[in-house]
Amino acid sequence: MRHLLGNRNFILVVVTVLLLILIGLSSQIESINQLGNLLSIPLNPLQKAFTFLGDKLDDFVTFFKDTRSMKLENEILRERVKILEEENRELRKYRDEINELREALNLKGRFDDYEMVGANVIAKDPGNWFNYFLVDVGTSSGIETDCAVLTGGRGLVGRVAQSHLTSSKIMTIIGEDSVVSGWIQEKGGNVRVKGDITLKDDGLCRMDYIPLDVDVEVGDIVETSGLGGIYPRGILIGRVIEVRHINSEFNRYAIIEPAVDFKNLDKVYILRRKDASLQADSAAK
Amino acid sequence: MRYRVLIYTLCVIVILVLQTTVLDFIKVFNVEPNILLVFVVCIALLRGNVEGAVLGLFSGLALDMIAGTTIGFYALLGMYLGFTAGSVNKGLYKDNLLVVVFFTFLFTFAYEILVFILKVLLPSGNITELFYSLRYIILPEAIYNSLLSVLTYIFVIKLNMWLSRLDSRNSGRDKTV
Repeated sequence: MRHLLGNRNFILVVVTVLLLILIGLSSQIESINQLGNLLSIPLNPLQKAFTFLGDKLDDFVTFFKDTRSMKLENEILRERVKILEEENRELRKYRDEINELREALNLKGRFDDYEMVGANVIAKDPGNWFNYFLVDVGTSSGIETDCAVLTGGRGLVGRVAQSHLTSSKIMTIIGEDSVVSGWIQEKGGNVRVKGDITLKDDGLCRMDYIPLDVDVEVGDIVETSGLGGIYPRGILIGRVIEVRHINSEFNRYAIIEPAVDFKNLDKVYILRRKDASLQADSAAK
Repeated sequence: MRYRVLIYTLCVIVILVLQTTVLDFIKVFNVEPNILLVFVVCIALLRGNVEGAVLGLFSGLALDMIAGTTIGFYALLGMYLGFTAGSVNKGLYKDNLLVVVFFTFLFTFAYEILVFILKVLLPSGNITELFYSLRYIILPEAIYNSLLSVLTYIFVIKLNMWLSRLDSRNSGRDKTV
């Protein structure tokens, strides 16, 4: 018995060492993570089906829950539509103006080097710590690690943390481990937009390293600065909803409400660099 | 034994798929339970540390493959989780569900503290998040898990009885042949 027990502990130690080596390797060599294909390829369709069923069920339940409150909401919304339509007309005028000016300044087509690949959300990170999710396109569609991910409304969702053959893991900007280099519209100033564990459940994130000479106010719009090389410049991140001071006037950070509603994401767009696919083609030739 | 491996694999896959897709719907106070962890703890408590460690290892590995970012991380945690849970003295909890609830709470707590230290604290070096994490993530999840462990343990006992019957019938048939 004593011998067996010693043996058992020995196996435990060996497996531990092996796993530690595997962990070390997988953070060094990207291709080790392709092992995940073994499981992710057969499971992806299942996850797709479950997410679909879950959404349908959710729709069904909320349909009955909502009918009562809908009538009232309808009236309020109708009023709002009137106001917004008016505003919209005005804004459209501005948009045309901006486009003209942009063309004049040669600023048009910031994303011309990129093309959009549509993707459906099929699963999310199990557990309560991080905000990853899984989408149904992968390396077979030319998606690579660090590609930027947007919504249809051009708000920044995050970036690709890892891609398998038929699926990719997306790291969201509200997740604890995400850091985005941001730029405050009109006022300027490079800032850091970071996920925060205490804010992520509310779908918010935190902006710090605000330059001293920039007067941040509620309502300021933050976009990506393009520094760091992962995110292209000029993608909308969100809006400042609160500025908090720690001890002194200048030690401060801001709370940002992202342009993206992370609770209801089902379709996203991944920015794929055009020249990457061109390079691959020319390499093949 | 063959059936046991097969059934465990099936259970792990079903739990993983549920956990990555529809578990959002049973969130309470913004926290969802970790059914895979509860399953591993229950099996380990019932079947001992070898089976616990092996099951923990492979379910952790599966989790790494479909959800993690480093292969081996959850596998390592899972193995030690199963091993430690399986090493609890059996005399302590014979047929006592309360003890299972207690141990699930304890192991969830320890497991999530480790995840916090390794995945949140070490990269950011920011200890101030510990209080928030304890209050809003770790403790609620531990409570949720320990409540779920009652159902899971009853299910695991039933499963175990069925598998043992299957095994003994099979070995009986093998002997006669």
